[in-house]
Amino acid sequence: MNRPPRILLVDDEVAIQRAVAPLLRSRGYEVDVASTGKEAVSAVVDRRPDLIVLDLGLPDLDGTEVCRRIRKESKAPIVILSARGGEQDKVAALDIGADDYVTKPFGSEELLARIRVALRRLEDSEGPELERIAVADLIIEYNRRRVLRGDDEIRLTPKEFELLALLAHNADRVLTHRTILKAIWGANAVDQPEHLWVLMAQLRKKIEPDPGNPRYLLSEPFVGYRLVTVPPST
Amino acid sequence: MTRSTDLRTLSFGCAGIVLITFLLRRWPQVSNATTVALGFLVVVLLVATTARLWVAVTTSIVAVLAFNFFFLPPLGTLVIADPQNWVALLAFLAVSLVASNLSAVARDRTQEAVTRRDELARLLDLSRDVLLITDSAVANSSLAAFIARRFDLDYVAICLPQGAEWTVFESGSHGHALSPVDLSAAFRAVEASTGARPLTAAGHDLRVVPLRFGTKPIGLLAAAGRPIESGTLDALAALAALALERVQFLDERKSAELARQGEELKSALLASLSHDLRTPLTAIRVAADNLQSTWPDERERREQSELIVAEVDRLTRLFQNILEMARIDAGAVSNDARWVAPSEIVDAARNRVEHALRGRRIELSVESDRFVRLDPRLPAAALSHLLENAAQYSPQRSSIEVQGTVSDTGLTITVRDHGDGIASGDLPHLFERFYRGASAKIGRSGTGMGLAIARGVLAVNGGRISAENCADGGARFTIVVPAEVK
Repeated sequence: MNRPPRILLVDDEVAIQRAVAPLLRSRGYEVDVASTGKEAVSAVVDRRPDLIVLDLGLPDLDGTEVCRRIRKESKAPIVILSARGGEQDKVAALDIGADDYVTKPFGSEELLARIRVALRRLEDSEGPELERIAVADLIIEYNRRRVLRGDDEIRLTPKEFELLALLAHNADRVLTHRTILKAIWGANAVDQPEHLWVLMAQLRKKIEPDPGNPRYLLSEPFVGYRLVTVPPST
Repeated sequence: MTRSTDLRTLSFGCAGIVLITFLLRRWPQVSNATTVALGFLVVVLLVATTARLWVAVTTSIVAVLAFNFFFLPPLGTLVIADPQNWVALLAFLAVSLVASNLSAVARDRTQEAVTRRDELARLLDLSRDVLLITDSAVANSSLAAFIARRFDLDYVAICLPQGAEWTVFESGSHGHALSPVDLSAAFRAVEASTGARPLTAAGHDLRVVPLRFGTKPIGLLAAAGRPIESGTLDALAALAALALERVQFLDERKSAELARQGEELKSALLASLSHDLRTPLTAIRVAADNLQSTWPDERERREQSELIVAEVDRLTRLFQNILEMARIDAGAVSNDARWVAPSEIVDAARNRVEHALRGRRIELSVESDRFVRLDPRLPAAALSHLLENAAQYSPQRSSIEVQGTVSDTGLTITVRDHGDGIASGDLPHLFERFYRGASAKIGRSGTGMGLAIARGVLAVNGGRISAENCADGGARFTIVVPAEVK
């Protein structure tokens, strides 16, 4: 990508626009601003942004509806700003195709980190399909279906490998319970999260240095899971 | 039917007998035992159909005596010579007595039917009254009053047991002291037996019937005065019990409804607060981060710090609104009336929302030579919310017109803007808490509390607020506060 990434900021609150837009510009992004869902959709068409920061509480359209309309026009990652306490909106938007979320009130670094991850994923997916990826201190080899820590192979069951590979493929990005269940067990399993809990516990035992206190395979409460490549230093 | 009408009928009967006697004595050629007997019988029957039995019997006896005295030989005496005439006389007496009796029975039946119809009509009227009872606070006493009125009773009491005590709701012109002991005894008797027969109890000549929900007795109905048939009394009690049950049901529904509204309000408050707090907090947080970093130049730094100040102001106003609303809810808004000039109120309101009115043209027309006696803080608070609204929902360059007038009954303040007016769908909900019109949500911050607060503070001293659209565009809000004027 030669030109600076272009970000569309969608929020009806002028105060948020006035604080966030200069912040993004200061990091070299080009920023367009929209205040309503309809404006957002037409800006996606006209300006072709590389990433969309979308507030779910817009006055004219329901947040998930805006998400759906944007998805029809563009594959650009969507980072949701959610002011509501309810997790349902977030999960619904993530299921529809949003990539990540930040809950208001958030700090600058939190938002910038989410944007960086989402943009990096965009670059990765534009490159050739990878045969192996390194996540944290692990190396995952897709075609040989094995996981190495240093020179030691960690033995995983096929389902455990699928789960790890899925999360690693979407590293640093939150995947909803629903998305994971559907990818690993199929559409009929989306209402049976207990499968996922059990499998995640097994995987953590094999991957995490301290399974009771995971550093890589993190829960996003009520939403889903995220594999972090750079665990918090604490 | 009274005694005097009986006597009048009796005298008419006797006069009829005298008249017939006179006529038949005058024309002996048409008079024989048969014509005399039939003539008298007509009179007796006429009397029997209109008066009570004793009047008819008395008339019959007078007729027998006249028959004997004037027409049966030997004439002029009460002696009867011919045994045939004895038979005729006795037959006449028997016929007239039977006829009297028959007609009296028929009339009693009619009378009874009329009474029945009358009581049925009273019951029907009562049932209508009962359906109109909606206020549970006065339901029991108004029920007693309705029964007393509809049935012309001297005394009606609805007695409901409360443990060992009795709550008695009385109505009627007479009072009776009902002793709880007697009532409890009567109630126990009702509980023990399954039938609904009226009980005569409580010392006085009171009729007492049980009030039942289904088959379970819940109290007693006592009545005195006009005699009422026991069947009617039972029906009356059933109706009264239904009325009590209905009021209880209405009460339950009302409290369920209140609870539901409370829940709705709570979740509206939470949703509103969640959004209204998080937005300024986010803006402040990000702007503060921006100020800490090295990238902003002087102009950008100024912008970011202005943003922080503006958002802190917004949080402060939100906080004030929540506080005001809580004070209204708690009934903690004080009302200290004093003499005040209308312009003082308008000035106070303008000062409160200076930030919103900055750069706006306000056209004032406020009456200056009369004073009102009220707590100026209340209308000023309400007016400030109206001004804030007007500034927010009309173009920056248009004017806002404020008019204050004093009438003999109080103070009226109107605020008129030149915005888009109020959508007709929003008008009925305008003063509801957290209600924000669809168009109001676009690009404008607001909490949906301002107008609800305006209404709430005005209500403290009996003031009202209303909204309308002007014919030539824009909205007009009117505050009316009743007050002493000088």
